[in-house]
Amino acid sequence: MDAFLTSRNVSDILHGLVNGVVFGLVGLGLVLIWRATRVLNFALGAMATGGAYLGLGLLSYQVPFWWCFLLAIPAGMLLGGLTERFLVRPLYGKPEINPIVAMVGLLILIEAVVGSIWGTRQRSVLPPFSYVDFHLGANVVQLSPLAVFQVTAAVVLALAIGALFRFTNLGLQLRASAVAPEVSRLLGVRVSRMLTLGWMLACGVAAVAAVIVSSGFISGLTPSGMEGPFAAGFIAAAVGGLESPTGALVGGVSLGILESFVTDYWNPNLVLPVSLLVLVVVLMVRPHGLFTRQVVRRV
Amino acid sequence: MIRISGLSVSYGAVRALRDVSLDVPTGQITAVIGANGAGKTTLLRAISSLVRPAGGSIDFDGTELVGMRTEEVARHGIGHVPEGRGVIEEFTVLENLRLGALHGRGKLAAGLETQFELFPALASRRKQHAGTLSGGERQMLAMARALIGEPSVLLLDEPSLGLAPIVTRDVMMTIRALCVDRGLTVVLVEQNAMSALQVADRAVVLHLGVVAADDRAEVVRADENLRHYYLGTAS
Amino acid sequence: MSTTEPRASHEAASLAGPPRRRGAVREIARRVASAVVQGRRRHPVLSRLLVTVLAVCVALVVTGLVSGVTDLDLATGAAMSIVILGLSFLTGFSGQVSLGNGAFFGVGCYVFAIFANHNNTSIGEDLLVCTAAGALAGLIVGLPATRLRGPYLAGMTIAVAIAFGSLIDQFSTWTNGDQGLNVQSPVTPPAWLANFIGAPISSLRATYMWRADITVVVAGIAFFLMANLFQSRRGRSMRLMRENEVAAELVGVSLPAARVTAFVVAAACAGLGGGLTTLVDTTVFGSLFSLSLSIQILTLLVIGGIGTLSGSLIGGLLYAYSITWIAELVSGIGLNSTSNLSSEMNNIIFGALLVITVLVAPLGIAGTLRFAISRRLAGRRSQN
Repeated sequence: MDAFLTSRNVSDILHGLVNGVVFGLVGLGLVLIWRATRVLNFALGAMATGGAYLGLGLLSYQVPFWWCFLLAIPAGMLLGGLTERFLVRPLYGKPEINPIVAMVGLLILIEAVVGSIWGTRQRSVLPPFSYVDFHLGANVVQLSPLAVFQVTAAVVLALAIGALFRFTNLGLQLRASAVAPEVSRLLGVRVSRMLTLGWMLACGVAAVAAVIVSSGFISGLTPSGMEGPFAAGFIAAAVGGLESPTGALVGGVSLGILESFVTDYWNPNLVLPVSLLVLVVVLMVRPHGLFTRQVVRRV
Repeated sequence: MIRISGLSVSYGAVRALRDVSLDVPTGQITAVIGANGAGKTTLLRAISSLVRPAGGSIDFDGTELVGMRTEEVARHGIGHVPEGRGVIEEFTVLENLRLGALHGRGKLAAGLETQFELFPALASRRKQHAGTLSGGERQMLAMARALIGEPSVLLLDEPSLGLAPIVTRDVMMTIRALCVDRGLTVVLVEQNAMSALQVADRAVVLHLGVVAADDRAEVVRADENLRHYYLGTAS
Repeated sequence: MSTTEPRASHEAASLAGPPRRRGAVREIARRVASAVVQGRRRHPVLSRLLVTVLAVCVALVVTGLVSGVTDLDLATGAAMSIVILGLSFLTGFSGQVSLGNGAFFGVGCYVFAIFANHNNTSIGEDLLVCTAAGALAGLIVGLPATRLRGPYLAGMTIAVAIAFGSLIDQFSTWTNGDQGLNVQSPVTPPAWLANFIGAPISSLRATYMWRADITVVVAGIAFFLMANLFQSRRGRSMRLMRENEVAAELVGVSLPAARVTAFVVAAACAGLGGGLTTLVDTTVFGSLFSLSLSIQILTLLVIGGIGTLSGSLIGGLLYAYSITWIAELVSGIGLNSTSNLSSEMNNIIFGALLVITVLVAPLGIAGTLRFAISRRLAGRRSQN
């Protein structure tokens, strides 16, 4: 076997995968919103938390995990839709700083509201999957059914979003509204509806990320618990160029694995500083990210 | 028929259109000509509700278009090929056409067949990104995308822009054929007055936002004064 | 109305001089106002200096009259207003948004505490060091800013704010992590200040008045310097950068240099504000420097008014008094002070205020007032 693939490294990679898909989903949500409305949604992590808590809140009433999981998605989507409609829409065409400030305000508002309802204590939903690692003969593989579930959920979701955009008429209209709103309207596309829908989708995706975080055996979720994944998801999306959904996902998973190595070999406190360094270096070299295809314009 | 009466449009302090009244008869080509800045594009944008008029009305077969949303105007059967053609470069040819057919009246499969017959060059490029097409091909794609929705009115904004004369002639002939064969109503905005007047039934000359002439195309074509003062074309 | 009046009568009125019916008091007030305006126009730096000295003197007298708690509030507000002033310059002049100024503030806090504990230096030296440390941090974060724009930059700074917490942990031998760090040496005022106040040093140790005095004076200096920067040719050409980068380049602004400079100035202000805050509080807790601190700084700036001096002052005082006000509000509506809602009330109010300000009055308090006043003045001028 290759010298690199020692069991320590393999377990680092597998470990990083779970975090990585969370980052990737958050990054995907950011990219969807950025493409559609040119707003960087700083409140995405908080909105995801809000969605997840609305779902999690039911757990105290002995509602089974799957219901919580399924309810977190529409709850997140609802938050996203309301935000676009009432907060973001009045700010289109205003100076760039206005939506940034508004989203930041929403970020602390949602975190505070969630905290005031459910408290700042860490909460987790234990899914019906074991966290005990698989065995391969006598060796322990650092992979549990829970991790498999977490990664699978993320991958299925990402594929579903990809298929929606690529193959359906709705996806076609969503993409068209993002890149060419005026032309889309001339073709009868109800663009403002599509923008709202784009926000809803993005926040639904992020809510799934929050549920994955909350279903971790150790981690759990706090009202501000998505700040770290948000920062990582932003870095992942920005490395990809903020335009590319694939870039965000690939960037997220790579970042997750990188962080896992930094934690294992170096120091967990240096995870974010190292990620930041990666971002800065990438953007210094390629200011528009790694995955943005420069559209060839011909006259 | 589209009946425009008393239409005024302002951009801030600039009056782009002043009290414009004109009729667009069904099944005919109405050319709107005039120099740069005469308000031709603004007229089309007002019909499509992309700009909000300061006053006046646009009546389309009994429906008031002023105040209606752009997407609803489109869904009422008014196709609009914007200036610079507006093909979505990130999309493939097929995706552009799919988008055009989405809110139209016809079926996608039948529409594709018709359009590929009309514009054979597009058929072989259906999987290509629109960004890779030539100027003439883009014009074809933009027209095909508007036509696939089977509109009853087609608004064309400067279809000859950036095209070689021979391609322009092809485009004009295609427009003429559509009008004759299918009874399509066309509003053709052109700076290239001569080529537009050759295919149009009627012609409206706009000058600084005001209707300077409104007559049959051959009358306008024959009018030396009009040509001299408003169109800037030498005979 | 004057706007519809023919111009001839307008000119006739002005030729006839001020109307006789105007009261003498109003006439004097008008003359004083015009003298102030003239003076400001002829000697801008001198008049700014006068205004600053006057304001600082008034504040110093106030610190002697009010209670210790109010002194603490005043000092906290003055320190925070310097931090906000820095961000005001960064955002209002170079158009960059930073969500990481809480980190620069934190650098100032820690450097002040650590430096003061390890060296037998005066408070002035300590403050200079933490200002320099803030500026250095600003340089490090600002360098990438030459390449990053708008949301990329804001996203990067938000990551800086979040990463700062883990850096505090990383260097917990220095920062003492969540345990908190106490400042030993500078809790005593310098001898000359004690003499001036006329009380023995030992009795001043636990009071806030002298701390408030130092903070007010330093804040006065900082505001004076920044006011000159705001109004300088360079400052004004930088303001152009926010509106139109190409135009700014045409008048000779080097964009990368201006961006980094703005970051360094903002971070230096944050470092100084942090140092003063530690001087006042005498302890530094790692948990303070969360993302929400950075966001709160931005909130105070936006509510006060971006790019204005008075807006920063309003923001700083709002910061100092909001804690008391919100506590009063919580008890006023009969909330249990240990409940989740009351502990989150601060963020709920600031979050909501921020959102509402952006939607309703994006110029903030100072900007909106200034706009309203200039409109009224313009209206009066056209009436005369």
